Amino acid sequence: MEQKFVAYKCKSCGKVMKPKHDRCLKCKATEFEEFELPKEGKLVTYTKLYALPAGIEMPPLTLGIAEFGSAKALGQILTDNPKIGMKVKPVWGKLRVLNGKDIFGFRFEAVE
Amino acid sequence: MIKFGRTPGDLMDMLAEASLRAIKHANADKEEFDALYVANMMAGETSHQTAVASSLADRIALVPAAADRVENGPASGGSAVKNGFLAVASGAYDMVLVAGGEKMTTADGDVTTDLISTMTHPTAEYVHGVTLPAMGGMLARIYMERFGVTDKHLGMIAVKNHANAVKNPYAHIQRACTVEGTMQSGMIADPLRLYHVCPVSDGAAAVVLCSMDKAKKFTDKPVRIAGVGQATDVQSVQEREDPAVLKSVQIAAKRAFGMAGKTTKDIDVAELHDAFEVLELAEAEDIGFFEKGKAHLAYEKGETTLTGKLPINTSGGLKARGHAVGATGVAQVVELIWQLRGECGERQVKDAKTALSCNFGGFGNNTVIHIFERGW
Repeated sequence: MEQKFVAYKCKSCGKVMKPKHDRCLKCKATEFEEFELPKEGKLVTYTKLYALPAGIEMPPLTLGIAEFGSAKALGQILTDNPKIGMKVKPVWGKLRVLNGKDIFGFRFEAVE
Repeated sequence: MIKFGRTPGDLMDMLAEASLRAIKHANADKEEFDALYVANMMAGETSHQTAVASSLADRIALVPAAADRVENGPASGGSAVKNGFLAVASGAYDMVLVAGGEKMTTADGDVTTDLISTMTHPTAEYVHGVTLPAMGGMLARIYMERFGVTDKHLGMIAVKNHANAVKNPYAHIQRACTVEGTMQSGMIADPLRLYHVCPVSDGAAAVVLCSMDKAKKFTDKPVRIAGVGQATDVQSVQEREDPAVLKSVQIAAKRAFGMAGKTTKDIDVAELHDAFEVLELAEAEDIGFFEKGKAHLAYEKGETTLTGKLPINTSGGLKARGHAVGATGVAQVVELIWQLRGECGERQVKDAKTALSCNFGGFGNNTVIHIFERGW
């Protein structure tokens, strides 16, 4: 099954949130519409992490925050030469191991 | 307070020693305490011990005082002092002891890093491998790109904080460093290098709180808590309109200044939460000491050194005094009480009358700010 890269829009006031909250951050309503974000985003900031937490191997781990239309998301960056403003797209993959289990989610790849 | 660093005792030994020193320093040896608040983030995980506040009440003979552990990540200390303040201010309690402690060097580095990372958003941040230094690195990147901050500026902050720590017998790292040295240190979370990041420290600190009338019986130099402000922000940094703005710091500062009836101009000395040196800049700006994006220019002029216009982190800050997470907020308060009482020896800020502490929890989603002034 294809994974969807989504955000949540408040049905009452239209505020977009990612991740999901139990009440709207703006108007406190509780109904949201899940919608797909654009497939292309722009890198806002990033870091190359050399001191890794338990559960992740092989430094450096590049992490960044990217803006996809009306919402931003944080993720692992799959390029060696990240730059602020570069175009990225979300791709599904393994993020880390937690309690012996593989955890999957979206990572960001450079758009050629 | 006890010296931060790699300490031989366990968490309870550190908490007990810091508490008894505070009680003795306050001339309150024979007093009955109504309540004890213990700031601690990870005793269950790093020391395999829970309910540490009850245990401390037992160790130092405060039974039957009320006792609670206060956990608010790295701002646990600030939260515990605030709880103690509110309890005394409400009239519920007369005598309160606030202690903060953390034993951090027992676990392996990557395990401690992971434990601390669990305060980030579970699904939006933590699962991706985010650590607190990674958050600091991403903030520093924006600061460099947008405001022209360089690793030289970050180095200057470290040099200042290390220089202060040399004069602080309670500091973890009592060793000077140079800007060139910081620029050659190993990369931790690019662009943050080792000398831009706080060490892993054990430590404990404690303060005695009571009403001003009562305090005057113990000392002729009581310090007054003039204002307290605390604010939260959305947990995930990605959801902030501008990730370079620390909204919880802005709101907590506004609340604290409002309660105290003071402004940034009144502050003579401040302890800020420099877990990463870029945070010292960002907090100084969002509290209102400097315009946004311009604090580094004041550092170029030495305005925040011991003899500058506004000395920041006279203790050495988290960078050099150390960051024993649960203890940090209390240690900041201890340093400022000593500054206002004129007890800081070589690192004493001349004639300090009003002081501010900023204890920054999560990555800025829960900040506690206190303002202190001389009570005599």
